[in-house]
Amino acid sequence: MKVDPITFAVIKSGLDSIADDMAYTVVRIARSEIVKDVMDFSAALCAGDGQMVAQAKTIAQHLGAIPEAMASVLAKFEGDLHDGDVVIMNDPYHGGMHLPDIFMFVPIFFGGERHAFAVVICHHTDVGGRVPGSNASDSTEIYQEGLRIPPLKLYDRGVLNTTLEALIKINVRVPDRVWGDLSAQFAAAQVGKRGLEKLLQRYGAAEVDAYMQELLDYAERLTRREIATWPKGTYRFVDYIDNDGFSDTPIPIKVAITVNGDGTLLVDYTGSSPQVKGALNSTLSFTHSLTYLSVRCVLAKDVPNNVGLFRCITVKAPEASILNPVMPAPCAARALTGYRVFDTMLGALAQIVPDKVPAAGEGGNSVICISGLRPNRQPFIIVDMICGAWGGRPDKDGLEAVTNASQNLSNMPVEVMEAEHPVRIEDYSFVTDSCGAGRYRGGVGVRRSYRILAPEALLQLRTDRVTFQPYGLNGGEPGGSSRNFIEIGNERSALPGKITTIVMRDTLIIHEQAGAGGFGNPLLREPEQVREDFLDGKITAAFAEQHYAVRFGARGALDVEATARLRSERAATPEPSGARHGA
Amino acid sequence: MALASDNRFRIAIDIGGTFTDIALLTDAGLIHQSKISSTPSDPSVAVIEGVGQLLAELSISPGAVAEVLHGTTVGSNTILQRKGARTGLITTRGFRDVLEIGRIRMPDMFDLTWEKPKPLVPRRHRMEVTERMAADGSTVEPLSEAGVISAGKALVAEGIEAVAIAFINSYRNPAHELQAEAILRANFPHLLVTTSCAVLPEMKEYERTSTTVVNAYLLAAMRSYLQRLEAGLRAIGVAAPILVMTSNGGMLAANVTCEKPVLVVASGPAGGVIGAARLGVARDDRDVIVFDMGGTTAKAVIIEDGRPSMTSEYEFRDGISTSSRFIKAGGYMLKVPAIDIAEVGAGGGSIAGIDKGGLLVVGPQSAGAMPGPACYGLGNDRPTVTDANVVLGFINATSLAGGKLHIDRALSEQAIRVHVGDPLSLPMQDAAHGIRAVANAAMARAIRAVTVERGLDPRDLTLMAFGGNGGVHAPDLARQLGIPRVVIPPMSGIFSALGMLASDIEHTALKTVSQRLDRMSVADLEAIKQELRQQVAAQLAADGYQAERTAFLWEADLRHEGQATELTVPFEGEDFSQIRERFVAEYFKTYGYRDSTPMELMKVRVAGRGLRDNRLDFGNMKIAARAGASRSGTRQVSFARGEPAVAVEIVDRGALGASSRQGPLIIEEFDATIVVPPDAKAHKDAIGCIVLEFET
Repeated sequence: MKVDPITFAVIKSGLDSIADDMAYTVVRIARSEIVKDVMDFSAALCAGDGQMVAQAKTIAQHLGAIPEAMASVLAKFEGDLHDGDVVIMNDPYHGGMHLPDIFMFVPIFFGGERHAFAVVICHHTDVGGRVPGSNASDSTEIYQEGLRIPPLKLYDRGVLNTTLEALIKINVRVPDRVWGDLSAQFAAAQVGKRGLEKLLQRYGAAEVDAYMQELLDYAERLTRREIATWPKGTYRFVDYIDNDGFSDTPIPIKVAITVNGDGTLLVDYTGSSPQVKGALNSTLSFTHSLTYLSVRCVLAKDVPNNVGLFRCITVKAPEASILNPVMPAPCAARALTGYRVFDTMLGALAQIVPDKVPAAGEGGNSVICISGLRPNRQPFIIVDMICGAWGGRPDKDGLEAVTNASQNLSNMPVEVMEAEHPVRIEDYSFVTDSCGAGRYRGGVGVRRSYRILAPEALLQLRTDRVTFQPYGLNGGEPGGSSRNFIEIGNERSALPGKITTIVMRDTLIIHEQAGAGGFGNPLLREPEQVREDFLDGKITAAFAEQHYAVRFGARGALDVEATARLRSERAATPEPSGARHGA
Repeated sequence: MALASDNRFRIAIDIGGTFTDIALLTDAGLIHQSKISSTPSDPSVAVIEGVGQLLAELSISPGAVAEVLHGTTVGSNTILQRKGARTGLITTRGFRDVLEIGRIRMPDMFDLTWEKPKPLVPRRHRMEVTERMAADGSTVEPLSEAGVISAGKALVAEGIEAVAIAFINSYRNPAHELQAEAILRANFPHLLVTTSCAVLPEMKEYERTSTTVVNAYLLAAMRSYLQRLEAGLRAIGVAAPILVMTSNGGMLAANVTCEKPVLVVASGPAGGVIGAARLGVARDDRDVIVFDMGGTTAKAVIIEDGRPSMTSEYEFRDGISTSSRFIKAGGYMLKVPAIDIAEVGAGGGSIAGIDKGGLLVVGPQSAGAMPGPACYGLGNDRPTVTDANVVLGFINATSLAGGKLHIDRALSEQAIRVHVGDPLSLPMQDAAHGIRAVANAAMARAIRAVTVERGLDPRDLTLMAFGGNGGVHAPDLARQLGIPRVVIPPMSGIFSALGMLASDIEHTALKTVSQRLDRMSVADLEAIKQELRQQVAAQLAADGYQAERTAFLWEADLRHEGQATELTVPFEGEDFSQIRERFVAEYFKTYGYRDSTPMELMKVRVAGRGLRDNRLDFGNMKIAARAGASRSGTRQVSFARGEPAVAVEIVDRGALGASSRQGPLIIEEFDATIVVPPDAKAHKDAIGCIVLEFET
C-alpha cells in the first residue's frame, strides 16, 4: 500500500480523537464517582477483525486485556454480529479482569460490512456478591465476588435484552448507578460509532481498513527497531506483595526478561507465587496487559500502544499461578498484583535501559471502600482510590500526588464525596518524610482520613507496601511504608494493610500511602535541594540529617560546615543496607 | 456616563508582545488604524501615546470617544514570566496540599519523564486554619480568628503580597471565607485578598482553589495596569468607559476586571478570533482555521459553523498550550469560559540559535519590541524570524509599519551568519531558509493541535491568517498541511483590534438552580428569570444601553439526575415542555440513546446584548486611505533553499481584483505583507480579503 503521510496522520489522530470523544462522553454522563470523578474506565477502537488500534487517554491497565476479551466475544458470536448489537462481558474466565469491570463491545458496520468495534470498559460501583463494591481482597472464590457475565448480547439488532437487564438490576446493590454507567458506556460506543462512520465516509472503507492495519504494522516496526538496539541477554527481578490478607506470607512476583536479537522479548514469570487464597489473582489477560504497558513506558514517546506492539512480546506465566489463575480463584483485587507486575518489570527493565527507568513508585493506588445504609435504608458505597508517587528518576526527582504510570486515574473531590455520602474527609495531604532519599528523591506519599457519619459502616482496605517498601535504584533508598490507623474517641491504633471490618459512627480511618523510592546516592543530592524540601515541610530536619547528612541552623539556614563534616564522615563509612530487595 | 448614541467614535486596542495596534471606527463606518511599538515594561504607555497621536492626526476631540475596547496580554504574560504577586493561600485545616495534589492525572500516558508543573504557591506559603463547613452548609467547626491572624502574620513575614482563601465546602456556605477575608483586610490592609466564593462559587475544591490562586496571583499586575491605563486616557481627555475583552470573547468593565483578572487571561487573542468568525460568516466561509501570528507567539483556533470552539475550563501551561477536555494535568487549571486556543512560542521576533546538541532552534525566546529583530539596530544582534524574512526578500528590507520603523538588512545578514550560518557551516541564505523552516514547523504544530489531533482534516478547511507576519508564513503552512485556501483579511496587521469592533457588548448572568424539572413551577422559573434580567439590564444600562436597545438570550443547562455534566439548550418564555423537548432531542443527538431517569435543571443563563448602531459590519466596511500607502516595483525573493532568488512584483491590495493572478507576487500594505508563492493564485474578494489558492 502507498502510505500518504497526511492521510495516515489524520486517520491515526482521528482514531485517537474518536476514542477520546468516547471517553469524554463517559465522563459527562456516568452516574458514579468512581467513573466520572476517579475516571476508572477506558475506551478503545478495534479494527473489524478485532485487533485494537486506538485508545483514549484512560486506564492503561485495561487496554492490553482487550485482545483476550475480544477473542472470547468473537469465539461466541462470530457470524452472528449485526448492526445494533451490543455485547457485554465481565467474567475473568472469559477474557475479563475482575467482575466490577464490565466490557462493552459494539460492532461498527459500513456498507453492510463490519469495519471496527467500539470498546468501553467501566469499573462499576457494585456487581453484587458478598460485599458492597464487589472488590474485597478477602474473598476466596469467584462465586463470592458478584454476578458473572459471560459474553452476552445486551442489545440484539437494536432491541434491548430485557431479561439480561432485569437480571443485572436485581443482582447489584445500586442498580440506578450501575444502569446509569452502562448507559454511559452505551452512549460512548454510539459516539465512537458515529465518529468512525464519518471517517469511513471521508476516506472510504477500504482505505480506513488498510490504514488501521498499517497502524498496527507501524507500531510493530517502531517497537522492533527500538528493542533491537537493547543489549541481548536475560534480566531478572523480583518484588513482593506484602500478603493476601489471610496469612503473613509474602507473595513473590518474579520475572526474567530475555532480549532476543530480533527486536522481540520473552517475558517469563516462572517462579512467581502460585495462585493465592485471597482475591489477588491476576488473570492472564491482565498479566499480558501489564507486561505490554511496562515495555511501552520505556519506548520512545511516539510508539502507539496497540496490538502491533503486543506482537513483539511473548509472555509466559505458569498455569495456576497468581499471574494465570484457574477456576474458581477469586480476582477482585487483582489490580494490586498488576501494579507489582509493573514494578517488577520496571526493575528488570532498569538493567536493560538504565537511563529510562525510575525507582519504584507507591506500588499502586490504595482502595478504601466504605459502605452501609443511609437513614432511609438506601445503600451507599464509596470506592475511593488513593494515588500516588513516582520514584526518583535517572536525571530528576520523582513526582508526588500523581497517578500510577500504569493507569491514568483521577481523584474523587472531597466536596463531591461529602455531598454524596455520609463521610467527612478531615485530611488530604502529603506525608512528611515518606519520600525515599536519593540524589533524585522519590515523591512523598498522600494521606486521606475519613470520619464516618453513618450509624455503622463496612470498611474494606486494600492497601500494600506496608512491609515491602518501594525499592530505590542505583543507591537510592526505599520509599516510606504505607500505614493505616483507626481512631475511636482519642484512641488511635494501627490497622493492617488488608482488612474488612465494621466501624461505627464518628470513627476516624486514616490511610497513609507509601512514598516512592529514591534514585542515586543521597549524599550526592545538593544540600540546597534538601533545604528546599525542608522549607516546604516535605522532610524534617531529622530526616535531612539522617538520610542526607545535611544540617540546618537557625531559621532554616543551611549549616554549611556541619553539613560538610557530616558528609565526609558518612562517606567514610560503608553505605547502610536499607530494606532493599529485587535483583 | 456617556450614552452610546451620543458620541461617535469607538476605539479598539490590541497589545501584542511586539506592537500595539489601534483601530478607530467612526459612525460613518470608516476605520482608521495605527500601529506603534509596544512598551512591555508598562504597556499603557504605548496605548496612551498611540491613542493621543491618532486622535490628534484625525482632529477628533477625545471627548467624542464613546468606548475604548481593549485586549490585553497582561494576564497571560504575568503567568508565563512568573511575574505575578508573591502569593499565599489559606485553606481549611488538613487541605493545604489540595492545590499541589490537583487531579492526579498525567497528560500523556506511558511517559515516565513527565514533569508536573510547580504550583504557583509553594507549600511553605500555604497555611491552614481551623474551620469547617459541612457539605450541607452547616458549621462543623467555627473559624478561628486567631488562626487567620497568625496565618496572615506568617505570610506577611514571608513577603507575601496577595492571599487566596479557599475553604472546603465554601460553595455551599461562604461565611467563613468572607469572615477570614474581613479579618485579613482589617489586620493587614496592604494585602490583596481574594476568596474562592467570589471567584468561582462551584463544587470541587481543586478547580476552585486553583482558579482563585491564579486570580490572586494576577490581582496586583492587572490592577496597576488598568489603573495606569485609565489615568493615562483620562489625562488626554478620553472619558469613555474602558471594556476589557474576556477569554471567551465577551467584554468586561475595567472595574470588574480589576477584581477578576482570571476572566481575561486569554484576552489578547480573543478579538481576532471573534473577528475571524464574523468575517467568515460574512464571506460565507463557516469552517475556518484561524491563524494569528504575532511577534512572540503563533495561535490557532478552529471555527466550526461560524462559532469559535470554546471550552469551559483550560489549563495554562508553557510550551504548547491547548485545552484539556478531561486531562487536568498539564498546567494551571482555570475554570473559566474561554476560546479554545492552541499556542506555540514562535513568532516574528523569535530568536534563532544553535542548542547544545548542535540543532537549529527558533524561540520561544523573543526579541519582542525592544530591542526587536537584529535589523532594527536597537541592540539585539541575534537573528530572528523577521531577519530571515528580510534577507530572503519576504519582507521589505528598508522599512516596516508604514515607514515608522527603519530596517537595516546588513544587520540581519550579519546576525544570521554569525549565530546560525557559521556554526552550522551553511551559507547565509541557506541558514535563513533553515530558520524559516524551523519556525514554520513549530507553527504548524499549533494548527495540527486543533485540526489533525482532533480528527479534523485541514484539507477540508480554510486558513484565515492575520498578524503582521501571517501573510508571510501562512502560504508555506498551508502547503505543508495540504490546506487549499488561505484568506488574509483586510487590515490583517491589526486584525485583533478590528475584531473587537465587530463584537457586541454582552453581559451574562447565571443562576445555579439544581432542582428536578418536574418539581418546579412556572412561578419558580419566572422568579429566576426576573432576578437575572434585572442584574444584566443594570449592567447594560451602565454601559448606556436602555431597555429598548437590548436583547436577551436564555439558556438552560440540564442533565439527568446524578450525572456530572449538563447539556445546554436555548429557551424562550417559561415553557417547561419546550425546555424538556429540546433537552431530550439534544441528549439523543449527542449520546445516541434516550434516558428515562428524571431531569434536573442545573443552571439558567442569560446573555444580554447591547444593540449597537455602529457595530462593525464586514460587509460594509470602509478603510480610511493612508498617505504613502501605494507600492510598486520589484524585489528579489528566494522561495526555496538552493533555488535562485527571483524578481517579484510588488503591488498594494488595491491593485488586485476579483480575477486571479498567478504568483509570485508581493502585496505590501501599511501594516502587513502577503507573499504569494509561485504555485498559488491570488484574488481579492468583495469584502477586501486577499484569497490565495493552491493548485491541487
